[in-house]
Amino acid sequence: MMKNIILGLAMAATSLAVCNSNNRSIEYLKMNKDLQLKSTVNNTSLMTSSVADAKITVSIKEILNDYLQMKNAFTEDNSTGAATAGKKLEAAFKKFDKSALTAAQKKTYEDVEADAVEHAEHIGANGGKIEHQREHFELLSKDIYDLVKAFGGGQVLYKDFDPMYNNGKGAFWLSETKEIKNPYMGKAMLTSGSIKEEIK
Amino acid sequence: MNIVKKILLVSAIIFIAIQFIQPAHNKSDQLLASDISQIVTTSDSVRALLKNTCYDCHSNNTIYPWYSNIQPMGWLMAKHIKNGKEALNFSEFGSYSSRRQLSKLNGIANSIRDDIMPLRSYKLMHKNSQFSASQMELLINWAQQSKDSLSAK
Repeated sequence: MMKNIILGLAMAATSLAVCNSNNRSIEYLKMNKDLQLKSTVNNTSLMTSSVADAKITVSIKEILNDYLQMKNAFTEDNSTGAATAGKKLEAAFKKFDKSALTAAQKKTYEDVEADAVEHAEHIGANGGKIEHQREHFELLSKDIYDLVKAFGGGQVLYKDFDPMYNNGKGAFWLSETKEIKNPYMGKAMLTSGSIKEEIK
Repeated sequence: MNIVKKILLVSAIIFIAIQFIQPAHNKSDQLLASDISQIVTTSDSVRALLKNTCYDCHSNNTIYPWYSNIQPMGWLMAKHIKNGKEALNFSEFGSYSSRRQLSKLNGIANSIRDDIMPLRSYKLMHKNSQFSASQMELLINWAQQSKDSLSAK
């Protein structure tokens, strides 16, 4: 009788233990699955954000290329060249893929875009009036600088400063080379100015 | 009826017909909170100059000359006003982002200095709209100061 009770208790205990361990292993499996799930979610969000970043970099790169082409035309006093780059730049701004931007980034971008497109348009439409184009180029340079600061330029850039333009108020521009070539003065004073900042 | 008479008759009919197509007038007496005078300091003389010389195309309130009621003159003016307001509207200056406000003030100073504005056709039709040297200086300084005060904010 006593044996039976002990056996019974032992059996119950083992079955409990088995049950328990079963439960635990199920829980463990569940946890594992959760973790796996979480990590796959993390992976996909990482992937989409890097795809988005890549898209932004491509768009910014195109804007920068057109801006730098325009800057180089101005250093050579080439008004029609600047106008051509202006039209290209306007198009580059308009085709920027905004779907890759977060809400906050979109706001920053659209603020710059509204202003920059207008300057690009004016520079594009005023081939032959280089001084008028340069006035717009000064403000455009500020827009492009803010854009690069917000989204990165994907290349090393230099912020150069000419202290004399604008009745001694000075103006800056962005350059891809360390060597100073002044787009406001052109050939008249090509090398005047200095590097104020290196943007990486 | 010979051909010359026919042509004259047809043109007369067309001319009369187009008189019935009047463009909507750009008129508003309301001073909006976004008006330039509410955003930056404007002296009486600056305001008077802007009103007299710029507001016909760059505000929500045009003072129409008599010939604006004759077509196609009225249409031509409506187009000028539409383009002018798109480029710069003093009545809605406050609705621009601060970045654009600075750009616009810069553009105002430059286009006056370079004699791009007022347009030649406008000066032809509006005597007294040619700025004197001192008026030019007044407006350019005003734009410059307004720019400085806005960028200091």
